[in-house]
Amino acid sequence: MTQVSLGGPPPPGSLSVPVGERAWAVSRWRTPTARRYLFGYALLAPAVLYVALLVGVPFVFSLYLAMSDAAVGAPVARFIGLENFASALENAVFYTAVRNTLVFTVGAGILKGLLGTMLAFLLLQPFKGRKIVRALIVIPFTLPIAVSVLGWKWMFDSQFSVINWALSRLSLIGNYGSPDWPVWLGQPALALFSVMFVNVWRGFPFSAIVLLAGLTSVPPEIIDAAKVDGATFLQRFRMVIVPMIAPILFIGTAFDTVFTLSDLSIVYLLTNGGPDGATEILPTLAYNTGIRGGALGRGAAISLFLFPLLLPAMILLLRTLRRKQY
Amino acid sequence: MATVIVAPRSHKSKELRRHTLIYLGLMPFLVLAVFPILWMAITAIKQDADLYLVDAVPFWFRQAPTWKNFDFLFHNTSYGDWIVNTMLISFWVSVITLLTAVPAGYALARLRLPFAENLGIGIFMTYLVPAIILFIPLARVVSTLDLQDSWWSLVIVYPTFTIPFCTWLLMGFFKTVPFEIEEAAMVDGCGQLGALLRVVLPVSWPGLITATIFSFTLSMQDFLYSLAFVSISDQKPVPLGVATELIRGDIYFWGSLMAGALLVGVPVAIVYNLFLDKFITGITGAAIK
Amino acid sequence: MSDPRPVPTESTNVSRRRFLEIGGAGVAAGSLLTMLDARQAPAQIKGTSLRMLLWSHYVPAYDVWFDKFTKEWGDKTGVKVRVDHMPHLELPARYAAEFAAGSGHDLIYFVGQILTGQYYRNLVDLSDVADGLGKKYGGWLEASKSAAQVNGVWYAVPDFFISIPVLWRKDLFASIGMGEPKTWDDLRKAAGQLKGKGHPTGMQFSHCNDANHNWRALMYCFGVKETDPSGQNILIDSKEMRESLRFGKALYDEGMTPEVFSWDDASDNRFLASGVASWIHDAISAFHSTRLTNPKVFEQTFVVPEVAGPGGRWNVGEPNVWAIWKFSKNVPAAKEFIQYISDNQKEAMEASLGYNMPFLKDQYKKPMPYLGQDAKLAALQDQEKLTAFLGFPGPMTPPAQEVVTTFIIPDMFTKVARGASIDDTMKWGVGEIRRIYAKHKAS
Repeated sequence: MTQVSLGGPPPPGSLSVPVGERAWAVSRWRTPTARRYLFGYALLAPAVLYVALLVGVPFVFSLYLAMSDAAVGAPVARFIGLENFASALENAVFYTAVRNTLVFTVGAGILKGLLGTMLAFLLLQPFKGRKIVRALIVIPFTLPIAVSVLGWKWMFDSQFSVINWALSRLSLIGNYGSPDWPVWLGQPALALFSVMFVNVWRGFPFSAIVLLAGLTSVPPEIIDAAKVDGATFLQRFRMVIVPMIAPILFIGTAFDTVFTLSDLSIVYLLTNGGPDGATEILPTLAYNTGIRGGALGRGAAISLFLFPLLLPAMILLLRTLRRKQY
Repeated sequence: MATVIVAPRSHKSKELRRHTLIYLGLMPFLVLAVFPILWMAITAIKQDADLYLVDAVPFWFRQAPTWKNFDFLFHNTSYGDWIVNTMLISFWVSVITLLTAVPAGYALARLRLPFAENLGIGIFMTYLVPAIILFIPLARVVSTLDLQDSWWSLVIVYPTFTIPFCTWLLMGFFKTVPFEIEEAAMVDGCGQLGALLRVVLPVSWPGLITATIFSFTLSMQDFLYSLAFVSISDQKPVPLGVATELIRGDIYFWGSLMAGALLVGVPVAIVYNLFLDKFITGITGAAIK
Repeated sequence: MSDPRPVPTESTNVSRRRFLEIGGAGVAAGSLLTMLDARQAPAQIKGTSLRMLLWSHYVPAYDVWFDKFTKEWGDKTGVKVRVDHMPHLELPARYAAEFAAGSGHDLIYFVGQILTGQYYRNLVDLSDVADGLGKKYGGWLEASKSAAQVNGVWYAVPDFFISIPVLWRKDLFASIGMGEPKTWDDLRKAAGQLKGKGHPTGMQFSHCNDANHNWRALMYCFGVKETDPSGQNILIDSKEMRESLRFGKALYDEGMTPEVFSWDDASDNRFLASGVASWIHDAISAFHSTRLTNPKVFEQTFVVPEVAGPGGRWNVGEPNVWAIWKFSKNVPAAKEFIQYISDNQKEAMEASLGYNMPFLKDQYKKPMPYLGQDAKLAALQDQEKLTAFLGFPGPMTPPAQEVVTTFIIPDMFTKVARGASIDDTMKWGVGEIRRIYAKHKAS
């Protein structure tokens, strides 16, 4: 594998510039660099425009909402600065929601990373029936989220839970009505775990696939070289494999984190933040306050609250990543 | 690698042991992924009253299994329309996504542009803007384009979350295309654009397919936008249709719900898996070059 | 944006009223009258189109009837009608989008979450329709104003409300020597004794719609007032509220199992249908669905309109009201339809299997459709005397709405059930409610 394929085009003045009459280009815009820039920005333009118009502009609007006292029936309202953010901080449930959001995201992320890695390693091995296994593993991810979550709702049901049925048949828990019959969506810690679990169930196939792609792109020669050098499996993993799949791992995790942070469906459909805020996360709090409760300004402030924290974190992550790739 | 002459019998038993270990290792994952699916499939052919028997076995039938739930799905709801809508929406969203993300991914991967890094980060940041607030100004956009209550409104809106992700994905794929191929094409007089179209794209088709598949799956995750913009039954995509018309207040049509989910999820999984192979060999192939 | 042509509803009202007088007041919305009604409809709505958005009724048969009924009206009047249904909990999001878009449906429906107070500036003034209906049918229930009026003006026309009575198992009560429960103490006693026999009760302690209604029923029966009748002053910080919290905890400890913390709106239905529940506090959709899924249990299930507490007997209903967006392009047809369906309330009540409770006083003349024919449901014919709505005794204002959608009351009861002190819970709950009201006052 040559180094060239990792980098960008070679500096101007090399092969890509035909020698000849263009060599004495007059106008600035005809230099290869300028042409490259123009070409590049032209290519970027559709994506950037689309996103700027349909996300950027609404984002500015939502910033405006967050700093006004807008209500659903009256979106043109007074500017009130950071008052909505301050009032979010006065709400005791807000702190619970922040805590739950962080626990949910970090916890689910770690679980998905671990499970995804283990599964990716297993799928890397050649074995009979690998294709079928891969097809089955992927299904949680391809089912529409709204419906698979509803399925889980029934699976977690306090009376008819199939999980409890199975566990009680295996004598791991008592029967319905006994004190050790888990109420998956009713006991506070268990409820938060259950919603996290559904997120992990949906997401670990995705993690496994991304990791699998990363792992298969590690050249076997490097691994063999490490083996020859006497490295153990763990050492090989830490010193060789992880650095090579780090970029793909980081970006996959970053996207997954962002998706998880803004995901409303799982909690909304399973518990809607209950019982008593045990599973309340920022998106559900924002939705119930802003949209269903009508207080648009305060809802916007709640949902944008993590933004100032995440933005620098993401920038840092992506910058580090880009530097690492060169 | 050490070469050892192994007697055939012990090689076979080694293979057997290796296979057993792998299967054992896979068991928990398979159970985790498949157990709910299996249960959903059984629920789909169960009669309603059978679901509410406290002492019945969830994995078997007290009352005879029935196709009634599927029947209900196709005759009492617009499920047929929903599937068609979902496929069409995903198709068009993929088209828009590819048309925008392919050039953008290429530009970010190949051409060293100033501000490109920040633009890339900026596009990525859009995921932090919450949909629960976004849908309100987008409602205005949708009605200005006169697309309210049509599934085309979703075709316009869904790329907002498929483009950033697919741009990154394609960026990764394009980075693995060896530069020599492009160079060669440009030496032949192609020009940068020509090189992109004639050489880079054909080689990165696994990436294009992957981006399409992710567009499909991401489109099927949405609920809020479809709820806000589409209320006519035969214009709904599957997730919205199933969640709004198979739940009536306190009555959940579990059988039909599960049937509806599986009918759309399993085929996508199969197609996904077909192309997963290409995706992985594509990446591997490109890496080995 | 709305139709510039004048709407001659007054003239049609008068001609209909005269016809009623001639035809005999005893004749309800029979087909003869509806046929003539159609002839009186203003010709100008012919050929126009009308779009309406409603909830998905908890009694599926009602929606089947409603869609047919609406289509027939459309055929008679020449209006092209489109009816869309949506789960009621998602309606607010849809309305927010329609409002932002400035377009959408013409005729909309608020269910449970009454958004009249939020959108009234953008809703058509419906005083003419509402006053007309009031005069025609003996006047509106006092409670109806809470959901449909803002500052004394009708911005919505009430359709029906849903009452949430007590459904109890006669055989189980009989086994402990009890008859029909009359007070909350009766219910507590029954649950306490029957829990030991494997038949606890359950009321949701979770973030769901029923939790908001059930606990308020308990509260109002204990004499709790959320605000004063103006809706401005918070009165919930009271001895009565503490009593009701105390009772709620006792009820949980003695008569329920921890599963109630995970319940959603449908869980109590299932609980009853499974045969486990000794009683539940739920709308009669549970009654009807149990008839289908567990006939044996259904035989033994009876209905009590509400039980009494130290502060009286109050049942918490969920109002449903019609409203028309100002940006609608077909206000006359929308008004016509509201008039038409209100004139056919008896048929609608029948189609809903007694689930829909009217807001107009004359509709309570016995025998009422469906309820009058079913011995178990007959007592519900007096429901209007007991009914209160969220925010009682104040109207359903935006801050009252926000208290509902952020589940403060269910959370308070959950906290005490889990062992928090009444003092701490009161401090938290009242504090939150005050904060919300203060925010709304500020804007």
